[in-house]
Amino acid sequence: MDTLIALIQIAIGAALINNFVLYYFVGICPFLGVSRRVDTAFGMGCAVTFVISIAATLSWAFTYFILRPEAPLPTWVWETLGGDPGTKVDLSVLSYIMYIFVIASSVQFVEMYVRKFFPPLYKSFGVFLPLITTNCAILFACLKILAELQDPEQLWGLHQALTLAVGGGVGFTIAICLMAGIREELDMCDVPKPLRGAGISLIVAGIMAMAFAGFAGMDSGIKDALAMFLK
Amino acid sequence: MVTPVTVTMVLAAVVLSLLAIAMAWVLGWANKTFHVEVDPKVEAILDVLPGANCGGCGYVGCGEYAEAVVHADADVALCAPGGAGCAQRLAEIMGVEVTESAPYRAVVHCAAKRYQRLQQTPYDGEVTCASANLVGGVQGCTYGCLGLGDCTRACDYDAIHLVDGLATVDYEKCIGCKACARTCPRNIITMVPFKCERMLVVACSNQDKGPDVKAVCEVGCIGCTACSRKAELMHMEGNLPVVDYDRYDATADFTEARKKCPREGMLYVGKPSAEDLAAVAGETLPDRVEADFRTTVDDTEWRG
Repeated sequence: MDTLIALIQIAIGAALINNFVLYYFVGICPFLGVSRRVDTAFGMGCAVTFVISIAATLSWAFTYFILRPEAPLPTWVWETLGGDPGTKVDLSVLSYIMYIFVIASSVQFVEMYVRKFFPPLYKSFGVFLPLITTNCAILFACLKILAELQDPEQLWGLHQALTLAVGGGVGFTIAICLMAGIREELDMCDVPKPLRGAGISLIVAGIMAMAFAGFAGMDSGIKDALAMFLK
Repeated sequence: MVTPVTVTMVLAAVVLSLLAIAMAWVLGWANKTFHVEVDPKVEAILDVLPGANCGGCGYVGCGEYAEAVVHADADVALCAPGGAGCAQRLAEIMGVEVTESAPYRAVVHCAAKRYQRLQQTPYDGEVTCASANLVGGVQGCTYGCLGLGDCTRACDYDAIHLVDGLATVDYEKCIGCKACARTCPRNIITMVPFKCERMLVVACSNQDKGPDVKAVCEVGCIGCTACSRKAELMHMEGNLPVVDYDRYDATADFTEARKKCPREGMLYVGKPSAEDLAAVAGETLPDRVEADFRTTVDDTEWRG
Protein backbone atom coordinates (compact mmCIF):
# COMPACT_ATOMS: atom_id res chain seq x y z
CA MET A 1 0.00 0.00 0.00
CA ASP A 2 2.83 2.39 0.83
CA THR A 3 4.35 1.64 -2.57
CA LEU A 4 1.13 2.59 -4.30
CA ILE A 5 0.85 5.82 -2.32
CA ALA A 6 4.48 6.60 -3.14
CA LEU A 7 3.85 5.96 -6.84
CA ILE A 8 0.76 8.21 -6.90
CA GLN A 9 2.79 10.85 -5.12
CA ILE A 10 5.55 10.60 -7.71
CA ALA A 11 3.03 10.84 -10.55
CA ILE A 12 1.17 13.85 -9.15
CA GLY A 13 4.46 15.43 -8.18
CA ALA A 14 5.82 15.13 -11.71
CA ALA A 15 2.56 16.13 -13.43
CA LEU A 16 1.41 19.05 -11.31
CA ILE A 17 3.43 20.07 -8.28
CA ASN A 18 6.87 19.94 -9.87
CA ASN A 19 5.64 20.24 -13.44
CA PHE A 20 8.61 19.87 -15.79
CA VAL A 21 7.78 22.93 -17.81
CA LEU A 22 6.30 25.25 -15.25
CA TYR A 23 8.38 24.38 -12.19
CA TYR A 24 11.76 23.29 -13.58
CA PHE A 25 11.50 25.25 -16.86
CA VAL A 26 12.77 22.44 -19.04
CA GLY A 27 11.21 21.68 -22.43
CA ILE A 28 10.43 25.37 -22.99
CA CYS A 29 11.35 25.15 -26.66
CA PRO A 30 8.46 22.91 -27.82
CA PHE A 31 6.29 24.50 -25.13
CA LEU A 32 6.56 27.83 -26.96
CA GLY A 33 7.13 26.50 -30.47
CA VAL A 34 4.29 24.04 -30.90
CA SER A 35 1.62 25.72 -28.77
CA ARG A 36 -0.18 27.67 -31.43
CA ARG A 37 -3.10 25.31 -31.81
CA VAL A 38 -4.57 22.92 -29.26
CA ASP A 39 -4.65 19.87 -31.53
CA THR A 40 -0.98 20.05 -32.56
CA ALA A 41 -0.05 20.85 -28.97
CA PHE A 42 -1.86 17.71 -27.86
CA GLY A 43 -0.04 15.69 -30.53
CA MET A 44 3.27 17.05 -29.30
CA GLY A 45 2.33 16.24 -25.71
CA CYS A 46 1.46 12.65 -26.63
CA ALA A 47 4.70 12.26 -28.57
CA VAL A 48 6.74 13.56 -25.63
CA THR A 49 4.95 11.25 -23.19
CA PHE A 50 5.64 8.34 -25.49
CA VAL A 51 9.31 9.11 -26.00
CA ILE A 52 9.89 9.99 -22.35
CA SER A 53 8.54 6.58 -21.28
CA ILE A 54 10.85 4.73 -23.65
CA ALA A 55 13.84 6.88 -22.76
CA ALA A 56 13.18 6.50 -19.03
CA THR A 57 12.91 2.70 -19.29
CA LEU A 58 16.14 2.39 -21.23
CA SER A 59 18.11 4.88 -19.21
CA TRP A 60 16.87 3.33 -15.96
CA ALA A 61 18.25 -0.02 -17.14
CA PHE A 62 21.60 1.48 -18.18
CA THR A 63 21.86 3.51 -15.00
CA TYR A 64 20.88 0.65 -12.74
CA PHE A 65 23.28 -1.89 -14.21
CA ILE A 66 26.16 0.28 -15.44
CA LEU A 67 26.19 3.91 -14.39
CA ARG A 68 25.28 4.16 -10.71
CA PRO A 69 28.10 4.00 -8.11
CA GLU A 70 27.37 0.43 -6.95
CA ALA A 71 26.17 -0.93 -10.27
CA PRO A 72 26.75 -4.63 -10.94
CA LEU A 73 28.86 -4.27 -14.10
CA PRO A 74 31.68 -1.96 -12.87
CA THR A 75 31.75 -3.71 -9.50
CA TRP A 76 32.10 -7.08 -11.18
CA VAL A 77 34.88 -5.82 -13.47
CA TRP A 78 36.65 -4.20 -10.54
CA GLU A 79 36.55 -7.29 -8.40
CA THR A 80 37.54 -9.62 -11.25
CA LEU A 81 40.62 -7.49 -11.79
CA GLY A 82 41.44 -8.05 -8.14
CA GLY A 83 40.56 -4.59 -6.86
CA ASP A 84 39.81 -3.82 -3.25
CA PRO A 85 36.06 -4.46 -2.63
CA GLY A 86 35.89 -1.36 -0.42
CA THR A 87 36.57 1.07 -3.32
CA LYS A 88 33.87 1.79 -5.85
CA VAL A 89 34.18 2.39 -9.57
CA ASP A 90 31.72 5.09 -10.53
CA LEU A 91 30.73 5.51 -14.18
CA SER A 92 28.12 8.22 -13.66
CA VAL A 93 30.34 10.72 -15.51
CA LEU A 94 29.00 9.02 -18.62
CA SER A 95 25.41 9.85 -17.79
CA TYR A 96 24.83 12.79 -20.18
CA ILE A 97 26.49 11.30 -23.24
CA MET A 98 24.87 7.94 -22.60
CA TYR A 99 21.37 9.39 -22.15
CA ILE A 100 21.56 11.50 -25.30
CA PHE A 101 22.87 8.48 -27.14
CA VAL A 102 20.11 6.24 -25.87
CA ILE A 103 17.34 8.78 -26.40
CA ALA A 104 18.42 9.68 -29.93
CA SER A 105 18.83 6.12 -31.11
CA SER A 106 15.64 4.83 -29.48
CA VAL A 107 13.68 7.67 -31.07
CA GLN A 108 15.22 6.83 -34.44
CA PHE A 109 14.26 3.22 -33.95
CA VAL A 110 10.71 4.04 -32.88
CA GLU A 111 10.34 6.39 -35.83
CA MET A 112 11.34 3.68 -38.29
CA TYR A 113 9.09 1.16 -36.60
CA VAL A 114 6.07 3.44 -36.56
CA ARG A 115 6.69 4.48 -40.16
CA LYS A 116 6.67 0.87 -41.30
CA PHE A 117 3.79 -0.51 -39.29
CA PHE A 118 1.54 2.43 -38.37
CA PRO A 119 1.58 4.91 -41.30
CA PRO A 120 -1.42 6.93 -40.05
CA LEU A 121 0.20 7.35 -36.64
CA TYR A 122 3.45 8.32 -38.36
CA LYS A 123 1.59 10.95 -40.35
CA SER A 124 -0.03 12.45 -37.29
CA PHE A 125 2.95 12.68 -34.97
CA GLY A 126 5.90 11.37 -36.91
CA VAL A 127 6.94 14.95 -37.67
CA PHE A 128 7.30 15.68 -33.97
CA LEU A 129 9.49 12.68 -33.19
CA PRO A 130 12.81 14.00 -34.56
CA LEU A 131 12.12 17.32 -32.86
CA ILE A 132 12.05 15.79 -29.41
CA THR A 133 15.11 13.56 -29.60
CA THR A 134 17.12 16.12 -27.72
CA ASN A 135 14.25 17.70 -25.84
CA CYS A 136 15.61 18.76 -22.46
CA ALA A 137 12.45 17.62 -20.65
CA ILE A 138 13.34 14.06 -21.60
CA LEU A 139 16.99 14.40 -20.64
CA PHE A 140 15.80 15.98 -17.42
CA ALA A 141 13.63 12.97 -16.58
CA CYS A 142 16.63 10.68 -17.15
CA LEU A 143 18.86 12.83 -14.95
CA LYS A 144 16.23 12.85 -12.23
CA ILE A 145 16.15 9.07 -12.32
CA LEU A 146 19.94 9.07 -12.12
CA ALA A 147 19.81 11.30 -9.03
CA GLU A 148 17.41 8.89 -7.34
CA LEU A 149 19.57 5.90 -8.27
CA GLN A 150 22.75 7.53 -6.99
CA ASP A 151 21.19 7.76 -3.57
CA PRO A 152 21.45 4.24 -2.04
CA GLU A 153 18.51 4.93 0.30
CA GLN A 154 16.12 5.71 -2.57
CA LEU A 155 17.32 3.28 -5.26
CA TRP A 156 14.30 3.52 -7.53
CA GLY A 157 12.96 0.50 -9.32
CA LEU A 158 11.72 0.55 -12.90
CA HIS A 159 8.13 1.14 -11.78
CA GLN A 160 9.06 4.36 -10.00
CA ALA A 161 11.16 5.59 -12.91
CA LEU A 162 8.37 4.85 -15.36
CA THR A 163 5.79 6.55 -13.14
CA LEU A 164 7.94 9.67 -13.01
CA ALA A 165 8.34 9.63 -16.79
CA VAL A 166 4.65 9.16 -17.59
CA GLY A 167 3.67 11.69 -14.92
CA GLY A 168 6.14 14.17 -16.37
CA GLY A 169 4.85 13.56 -19.88
CA VAL A 170 1.25 14.07 -18.80
CA GLY A 171 2.31 17.23 -16.98
CA PHE A 172 3.98 18.47 -20.16
CA THR A 173 0.82 17.69 -22.14
CA ILE A 174 -1.33 19.57 -19.62
CA ALA A 175 0.96 22.58 -19.67
CA ILE A 176 1.31 22.78 -23.47
CA CYS A 177 -2.44 22.28 -24.07
CA LEU A 178 -3.32 25.01 -21.55
CA MET A 179 -0.78 27.27 -23.20
CA ALA A 180 -2.18 26.54 -26.66
CA GLY A 181 -5.73 27.25 -25.47
CA ILE A 182 -4.64 30.58 -24.02
CA ARG A 183 -2.70 31.49 -27.15
CA GLU A 184 -5.69 30.70 -29.37
CA GLU A 185 -7.73 33.17 -27.32
CA LEU A 186 -4.84 35.61 -27.30
CA ASP A 187 -5.08 35.98 -31.07
CA MET A 188 -8.32 37.86 -30.54
CA CYS A 189 -6.91 40.15 -27.86
CA ASP A 190 -5.54 43.62 -28.11
CA VAL A 191 -1.93 43.01 -27.09
CA PRO A 192 0.30 46.10 -26.88
CA LYS A 193 2.58 46.18 -29.90
CA PRO A 194 5.95 45.69 -28.15
CA LEU A 195 4.67 42.56 -26.43
CA ARG A 196 3.19 40.76 -29.44
CA GLY A 197 4.47 37.32 -30.31
CA ALA A 198 7.14 35.82 -28.09
CA GLY A 199 6.86 38.55 -25.47
CA ILE A 200 3.28 37.94 -24.46
CA SER A 201 3.79 34.16 -24.70
CA LEU A 202 6.61 34.31 -22.18
CA ILE A 203 4.55 36.54 -19.89
CA VAL A 204 1.65 34.08 -20.11
CA ALA A 205 4.05 31.21 -19.38
CA GLY A 206 5.33 33.09 -16.35
CA ILE A 207 1.82 33.71 -15.02
CA MET A 208 0.98 30.03 -15.60
CA ALA A 209 4.11 29.06 -13.68
CA MET A 210 2.98 31.26 -10.78
CA ALA A 211 -0.44 29.61 -10.90
CA PHE A 212 1.18 26.18 -10.83
CA ALA A 213 3.25 27.28 -7.85
CA GLY A 214 -0.09 27.07 -6.03
CA PHE A 215 0.22 23.29 -6.14
CA ALA A 216 3.33 23.44 -3.95
CA GLY A 217 2.73 21.94 -0.53
CA MET A 218 -0.06 19.68 -1.78
CA ASP A 219 2.35 16.80 -1.42
CA SER A 220 1.86 15.87 2.24
CA GLY A 221 -1.88 16.57 2.04
CA ILE A 222 -2.23 14.10 -0.84
CA LYS A 223 -0.24 11.53 1.08
CA ASP A 224 -2.56 11.79 4.12
CA ALA A 225 -5.69 11.77 1.98
CA LEU A 226 -4.54 8.70 0.04
CA ALA A 227 -3.56 6.90 3.23
CA MET A 228 -7.02 7.54 4.68
CA PHE A 229 -8.80 6.63 1.46
CA LEU A 230 -6.90 3.41 0.85
CA LYS A 231 -7.26 2.07 4.38
CA MET B 1 48.80 -1.51 -11.35
CA VAL B 2 45.01 -1.52 -11.33
CA THR B 3 43.62 1.69 -9.87
CA PRO B 4 39.98 2.78 -9.78
CA VAL B 5 40.81 5.68 -12.10
CA THR B 6 42.30 3.54 -14.88
CA VAL B 7 39.50 1.03 -14.54
CA THR B 8 36.91 3.79 -14.79
CA MET B 9 38.56 5.26 -17.87
CA VAL B 10 39.00 1.97 -19.69
CA LEU B 11 35.55 0.78 -18.67
CA ALA B 12 33.97 4.04 -19.88
CA ALA B 13 35.64 3.71 -23.25
CA VAL B 14 34.71 0.05 -23.56
CA VAL B 15 31.10 0.58 -22.47
CA LEU B 16 30.55 3.49 -24.85
CA SER B 17 32.17 1.70 -27.78
CA LEU B 18 30.09 -1.40 -27.17
CA LEU B 19 26.97 0.70 -26.85
CA ALA B 20 27.79 2.51 -30.09
CA ILE B 21 28.41 -0.74 -31.93
CA ALA B 22 25.24 -2.31 -30.54
CA MET B 23 23.09 0.72 -31.39
CA ALA B 24 24.60 1.03 -34.84
CA TRP B 25 23.87 -2.61 -35.49
CA VAL B 26 20.29 -2.34 -34.22
CA LEU B 27 19.60 0.80 -36.21
CA GLY B 28 21.19 -0.62 -39.32
CA TRP B 29 19.10 -3.73 -39.00
CA ALA B 30 15.97 -1.66 -38.40
CA ASN B 31 16.75 0.52 -41.39
CA LYS B 32 16.76 -2.53 -43.62
CA THR B 33 13.89 -4.40 -41.99
CA PHE B 34 11.58 -1.42 -41.62
CA HIS B 35 12.49 0.09 -44.95
CA VAL B 36 9.55 1.83 -46.56
CA GLU B 37 9.55 2.00 -50.32
CA VAL B 38 9.35 5.64 -51.33
CA ASP B 39 8.42 6.17 -54.93
CA PRO B 40 11.53 7.59 -56.68
CA LYS B 41 9.20 9.95 -58.50
CA VAL B 42 8.12 11.46 -55.17
CA GLU B 43 11.74 12.11 -54.25
CA ALA B 44 12.51 13.57 -57.67
CA ILE B 45 9.51 15.88 -57.39
CA LEU B 46 10.52 16.93 -53.89
CA ASP B 47 13.90 17.96 -55.27
CA VAL B 48 12.26 20.15 -57.90
CA LEU B 49 9.69 21.82 -55.64
CA PRO B 50 10.89 25.04 -53.96
CA GLY B 51 10.37 23.63 -50.46
CA ALA B 52 8.76 26.83 -49.21
CA ASN B 53 5.89 24.80 -47.68
CA CYS B 54 3.61 27.79 -48.30
CA GLY B 55 0.51 25.65 -48.78
CA GLY B 56 -0.55 27.65 -51.82
CA CYS B 57 -1.24 24.46 -53.79
CA GLY B 58 -3.89 23.45 -51.27
CA TYR B 59 -1.83 20.66 -49.71
CA VAL B 60 -0.23 20.82 -46.30
CA GLY B 61 3.34 21.11 -47.55
CA CYS B 62 5.60 20.33 -50.47
CA GLY B 63 5.88 16.71 -49.33
CA GLU B 64 2.17 16.14 -49.42
CA TYR B 65 1.84 17.87 -52.78
CA ALA B 66 4.57 15.61 -54.20
CA GLU B 67 2.67 12.58 -52.93
CA ALA B 68 -0.54 13.91 -54.43
CA VAL B 69 1.08 14.52 -57.82
CA VAL B 70 2.35 10.95 -57.98
CA HIS B 71 -0.48 9.04 -56.35
CA ALA B 72 -3.59 11.20 -56.59
CA ASP B 73 -3.18 12.72 -60.07
CA ALA B 74 -2.90 16.24 -58.75
CA ASP B 75 -2.22 18.91 -61.35
CA VAL B 76 1.49 19.55 -61.90
CA ALA B 77 0.96 23.29 -62.28
CA LEU B 78 -0.30 24.04 -58.79
CA CYS B 79 2.96 25.32 -57.35
CA ALA B 80 2.81 29.11 -57.48
CA PRO B 81 6.30 29.91 -56.10
CA GLY B 82 7.86 27.39 -58.50
CA GLY B 83 6.06 28.91 -61.47
CA ALA B 84 6.09 27.64 -65.02
CA GLY B 85 9.60 26.15 -64.86
CA CYS B 86 8.68 24.01 -61.90
CA ALA B 87 5.47 22.84 -63.58
CA GLN B 88 7.46 21.94 -66.70
CA ARG B 89 9.95 19.83 -64.77
CA LEU B 90 7.19 18.12 -62.77
CA ALA B 91 5.46 17.30 -66.04
CA GLU B 92 8.71 15.78 -67.36
CA ILE B 93 9.07 13.61 -64.26
CA MET B 94 5.48 12.47 -64.46
CA GLY B 95 5.50 12.11 -68.26
CA VAL B 96 2.46 14.33 -68.79
CA GLU B 97 1.78 17.52 -70.66
CA VAL B 98 1.55 20.79 -68.78
CA THR B 99 -1.92 22.14 -69.18
CA GLU B 100 -1.51 25.74 -70.20
CA SER B 101 -1.73 27.84 -67.12
CA ALA B 102 -1.18 31.44 -66.30
CA PRO B 103 0.36 32.48 -63.02
CA TYR B 104 -2.36 33.39 -60.57
CA ARG B 105 -1.98 36.66 -58.71
CA ALA B 106 -3.95 38.17 -55.89
CA VAL B 107 -6.45 40.88 -56.78
CA VAL B 108 -8.24 43.06 -54.23
CA HIS B 109 -11.78 43.63 -55.36
CA CYS B 110 -12.20 47.02 -53.76
CA ALA B 111 -10.98 50.42 -54.92
CA ALA B 112 -12.21 52.65 -52.12
CA LYS B 113 -9.49 54.52 -50.29
CA ARG B 114 -10.28 55.23 -46.68
CA TYR B 115 -11.60 58.74 -47.40
CA GLN B 116 -13.87 57.39 -50.13
CA ARG B 117 -15.75 55.12 -47.75
CA LEU B 118 -18.79 56.69 -46.18
CA GLN B 119 -20.64 56.19 -42.93
CA GLN B 120 -17.51 55.40 -40.99
CA THR B 121 -17.63 55.05 -37.23
CA PRO B 122 -14.50 55.36 -35.09
CA TYR B 123 -13.28 51.88 -34.26
CA ASP B 124 -11.11 51.40 -31.19
CA GLY B 125 -11.02 47.63 -31.01
CA GLU B 126 -8.29 45.20 -31.87
CA VAL B 127 -6.57 46.39 -35.02
CA THR B 128 -7.31 43.40 -37.23
CA CYS B 129 -9.86 43.03 -39.99
CA ALA B 130 -11.02 39.75 -38.44
CA SER B 131 -12.08 41.56 -35.28
CA ALA B 132 -13.45 44.66 -37.00
CA ASN B 133 -15.51 42.44 -39.30
CA LEU B 134 -17.32 41.04 -36.26
CA VAL B 135 -18.49 44.51 -35.28
CA GLY B 136 -21.22 46.15 -37.32
CA GLY B 137 -20.92 49.70 -38.58
CA VAL B 138 -17.16 50.24 -38.71
CA GLN B 139 -17.88 51.54 -42.20
CA GLY B 140 -21.01 51.71 -44.29
CA CYS B 141 -19.90 49.15 -46.89
CA THR B 142 -20.23 45.66 -45.53
CA TYR B 143 -18.41 44.15 -48.51
CA GLY B 144 -15.31 46.26 -49.03
CA CYS B 145 -11.80 46.42 -47.63
CA LEU B 146 -11.59 47.21 -43.93
CA GLY B 147 -8.03 48.46 -44.27
CA LEU B 148 -6.62 47.01 -41.06
CA GLY B 149 -4.01 44.91 -42.78
CA ASP B 150 -4.70 41.24 -42.02
CA CYS B 151 -3.52 40.51 -45.56
CA THR B 152 -0.31 42.51 -45.06
CA ARG B 153 0.51 40.44 -42.00
CA ALA B 154 -0.40 37.21 -43.78
CA CYS B 155 1.95 37.92 -46.69
CA ASP B 156 5.35 36.30 -46.38
CA TYR B 157 6.65 38.11 -49.44
CA ASP B 158 6.02 41.74 -48.49
CA ALA B 159 3.74 42.02 -51.52
CA ILE B 160 0.55 43.58 -50.15
CA HIS B 161 0.41 46.87 -48.32
CA LEU B 162 -2.11 49.40 -47.09
CA VAL B 163 -2.18 52.50 -49.26
CA ASP B 164 -4.59 55.10 -47.90
CA GLY B 165 -6.27 52.35 -45.92
CA LEU B 166 -6.76 50.12 -48.96
CA ALA B 167 -5.00 46.80 -49.42
CA THR B 168 -2.85 47.17 -52.54
CA VAL B 169 -0.92 44.35 -54.16
CA ASP B 170 2.66 44.89 -55.31
CA TYR B 171 2.76 42.74 -58.44
CA GLU B 172 6.54 42.90 -58.60
CA LYS B 173 6.64 40.82 -55.43
CA CYS B 174 3.41 38.80 -55.43
CA ILE B 175 4.02 35.12 -56.11
CA GLY B 176 0.39 34.02 -55.91
CA CYS B 177 0.56 31.92 -52.73
CA LYS B 178 -3.06 32.82 -51.77
CA ALA B 179 -2.13 33.58 -48.16
CA CYS B 180 -3.89 36.97 -48.32
CA ALA B 181 -6.94 35.54 -50.09
CA ARG B 182 -7.31 32.95 -47.36
CA THR B 183 -6.93 35.39 -44.52
CA CYS B 184 -9.23 38.19 -45.75
CA PRO B 185 -12.34 37.94 -43.54
CA ARG B 186 -14.47 39.60 -46.24
CA ASN B 187 -13.18 37.36 -49.03
CA ILE B 188 -12.56 40.28 -51.37
CA ILE B 189 -9.15 39.00 -52.52
CA THR B 190 -9.34 36.47 -55.33
CA MET B 191 -6.73 34.81 -57.48
CA VAL B 192 -6.82 36.00 -61.10
CA PRO B 193 -4.87 34.27 -63.89
CA PHE B 194 -2.44 36.86 -65.22
CA LYS B 195 -2.59 36.08 -68.91
CA CYS B 196 -0.89 39.36 -69.79
CA GLU B 197 1.07 41.90 -67.86
CA ARG B 198 -1.90 44.14 -67.18
CA MET B 199 -5.23 42.63 -66.27
CA LEU B 200 -8.58 44.33 -66.07
CA VAL B 201 -10.34 43.57 -62.83
CA VAL B 202 -13.62 44.61 -61.30
CA ALA B 203 -12.59 46.60 -58.27
CA CYS B 204 -15.70 46.30 -56.16
CA SER B 205 -17.38 43.54 -54.20
CA ASN B 206 -20.56 45.31 -53.18
CA GLN B 207 -23.61 43.29 -54.22
CA ASP B 208 -26.14 45.91 -53.15
CA LYS B 209 -28.34 48.07 -55.42
CA GLY B 210 -27.04 51.38 -56.78
CA PRO B 211 -28.52 53.82 -54.23
CA ASP B 212 -27.32 51.68 -51.33
CA VAL B 213 -23.80 51.57 -52.78
CA LYS B 214 -23.79 55.33 -53.36
CA ALA B 215 -24.75 55.84 -49.74
CA VAL B 216 -21.71 53.98 -48.47
CA CYS B 217 -19.00 54.51 -51.10
CA GLU B 218 -17.75 57.17 -53.50
CA VAL B 219 -16.28 54.79 -56.05
CA GLY B 220 -18.10 51.45 -55.72
CA CYS B 221 -19.93 49.73 -58.56
CA ILE B 222 -23.60 50.64 -58.72
CA GLY B 223 -24.54 47.75 -60.97
CA CYS B 224 -25.60 49.92 -63.95
CA THR B 225 -24.71 47.06 -66.38
CA ALA B 226 -23.21 49.57 -68.88
CA CYS B 227 -19.89 47.75 -69.07
CA SER B 228 -21.45 44.36 -69.64
CA ARG B 229 -23.26 45.74 -72.66
CA LYS B 230 -20.12 47.37 -74.10
CA ALA B 231 -17.57 44.61 -73.52
CA GLU B 232 -18.07 41.16 -74.84
CA LEU B 233 -16.03 39.53 -72.07
CA MET B 234 -18.11 40.97 -69.25
CA HIS B 235 -21.43 39.86 -67.89
CA MET B 236 -23.45 40.59 -64.78
CA GLU B 237 -23.69 38.29 -61.80
CA GLY B 238 -26.12 39.81 -59.35
CA ASN B 239 -25.30 43.50 -59.15
CA LEU B 240 -21.66 43.14 -60.12
CA PRO B 241 -19.99 42.73 -63.51
CA VAL B 242 -17.70 39.75 -63.91
CA VAL B 243 -14.78 39.43 -66.34
CA ASP B 244 -14.57 36.12 -68.17
CA TYR B 245 -10.92 35.22 -67.59
CA ASP B 246 -11.22 31.95 -69.52
CA ARG B 247 -11.51 33.86 -72.79
CA TYR B 248 -9.45 36.89 -71.70
CA ASP B 249 -6.34 37.68 -73.73
CA ALA B 250 -4.07 40.62 -74.42
CA THR B 251 -6.18 41.80 -77.35
CA ALA B 252 -9.37 42.17 -75.34
CA ASP B 253 -10.58 45.76 -75.60
CA PHE B 254 -12.29 47.33 -72.63
CA THR B 255 -11.88 50.98 -73.63
CA GLU B 256 -15.57 51.53 -74.35
CA ALA B 257 -16.68 49.77 -71.20
CA ARG B 258 -14.29 51.79 -69.08
CA LYS B 259 -15.45 55.03 -70.68
CA LYS B 260 -19.07 54.19 -69.92
CA CYS B 261 -18.45 53.34 -66.29
CA PRO B 262 -19.88 56.15 -64.15
CA ARG B 263 -17.79 55.06 -61.15
CA GLU B 264 -14.29 53.62 -60.78
CA GLY B 265 -15.48 50.08 -61.01
CA MET B 266 -12.82 48.70 -63.31
CA LEU B 267 -9.07 48.94 -62.89
CA TYR B 268 -6.01 47.68 -64.67
CA VAL B 269 -3.63 45.97 -62.26
CA GLY B 270 -0.18 44.55 -62.85
CA LYS B 271 2.66 46.28 -64.63
CA PRO B 272 2.07 49.91 -65.74
CA SER B 273 1.27 50.36 -69.40
CA ALA B 274 3.68 51.94 -71.88
CA GLU B 275 1.63 55.17 -71.92
CA ASP B 276 1.70 55.43 -68.15
CA LEU B 277 5.46 54.94 -68.12
CA ALA B 278 5.91 57.51 -70.87
CA ALA B 279 3.74 59.98 -69.00
CA VAL B 280 5.97 59.92 -65.95
CA ALA B 281 9.26 59.44 -67.81
CA GLY B 282 10.28 63.09 -67.45
CA GLU B 283 9.60 63.29 -63.74
CA THR B 284 12.55 63.11 -61.44
CA LEU B 285 12.15 60.74 -58.59
CA PRO B 286 12.44 62.26 -55.11
CA ASP B 287 15.80 61.89 -53.42
CA ARG B 288 16.28 59.13 -50.99
CA VAL B 289 14.85 60.08 -47.63
CA GLU B 290 17.45 60.02 -44.90
CA ALA B 291 16.54 59.06 -41.38
CA ASP B 292 15.62 61.97 -39.16
CA PHE B 293 16.15 60.87 -35.63
CA ARG B 294 14.03 63.63 -34.15
CA THR B 295 10.99 61.89 -35.51
CA THR B 296 11.64 58.55 -33.91
CA VAL B 297 9.29 59.30 -31.05
CA ASP B 298 7.42 56.40 -29.58
CA ASP B 299 4.24 56.26 -31.60
CA THR B 300 3.15 52.96 -30.14
CA GLU B 301 -0.58 52.85 -29.67
CA TRP B 302 -1.65 51.80 -26.22
CA ARG B 303 -5.21 50.88 -25.77
CA GLY B 304 -7.38 49.04 -23.29
